[in-house]
Amino acid sequence: MHGESSVKVPGGKLVRAAVTYEAHVQSVEIRGDFFLEPPEALTALERAVEGLPRDASHEEFATAVGAVDATLVGFDADDVATAVREAME
Amino acid sequence: MSDDHDGLRVVDPEALSEPVHHALDEVLTNRLQAGETPPTLRVWRRDTPAVPFGRFQSFDDEVEAEYAREHGIVPVRRVTGGGSMYVAPGDVVTYSLYLPASWVPDDVEASYADLDRSAIEALRGLGLDVRHEPLNDIEHADGKIGGSAQLRSGDAVLHHATMSYDLDTREMLRVLRIGAEKVSDKAVRSAEKRVAVMTDHLDASREDVIDAVVDAYVARFGGGRGELSEDEREAALELADAKFSTPEWNERL
Repeated sequence: MHGESSVKVPGGKLVRAAVTYEAHVQSVEIRGDFFLEPPEALTALERAVEGLPRDASHEEFATAVGAVDATLVGFDADDVATAVREAME
Repeated sequence: MSDDHDGLRVVDPEALSEPVHHALDEVLTNRLQAGETPPTLRVWRRDTPAVPFGRFQSFDDEVEAEYAREHGIVPVRRVTGGGSMYVAPGDVVTYSLYLPASWVPDDVEASYADLDRSAIEALRGLGLDVRHEPLNDIEHADGKIGGSAQLRSGDAVLHHATMSYDLDTREMLRVLRIGAEKVSDKAVRSAEKRVAVMTDHLDASREDVIDAVVDAYVARFGGGRGELSEDEREAALELADAKFSTPEWNERL
């Protein structure tokens, strides 16, 4: 299955998630007008949530994203978790 | 400003293509980090209309590619995050600062406010009532007049900003994929409420604005007029061809 969602972050940034999943998350694309240092960490953010059960909790998704060694600016791990989970609703 | 440096090299080259501008951002940031180039303020002059869009945005989500192609509007993915803009030669004021990290607050949010401050003071000095709006917007009471974006690369910080001196809102809505309503009068009015342009509020010319902004940063950091080196130009031209004008970079996300 495939789903997409957009989360508008307080302060104005947009985080979009496109998720392919069955019982588990298979692949994720995160896009938006946020900032991320280093920029190459985008792939690591996406990989971090792949493999999680689709019914994992918000905290499990946010923890996985938060474990990536990167500085998220204008958005945070909670926003990514929200976007990914909403894409699977 | 500290006393142990020569300040900014201010460069204001002739009009260049959109991919070359973005290549210069990468080249000058990397060379500053390598200690091969001085801290620099670069004024952008464009030779075509363009859509610079954020590093993490989807090309297809942001750009009406066919319209852009048919009308000679050049989309280029920036090295920095943030959103997409429609920019036309003569309508915007764009500049890049390449600074050592030691000149910039460590906190990212604070550094946007700090580095936007000089430009905002320059605009206020011309009579335009603008303020910094976190994270990275420059706001007038009528709407957003500009925005900035940063990239940190080791000990080098790139901070670039674009402000609307004027703006063709209709053309912006045609080339940016902002919503389904596109060029309806309602969409135009809605967009006009969100964005502000200097010409509605200011008698100064665009060149006056550029001069005031440059002067404000020179007053703060010191330095003066300089030139890009031939080597910097050549490296940027090569990188523009190899990266910033290719679908592999621009359409990668």
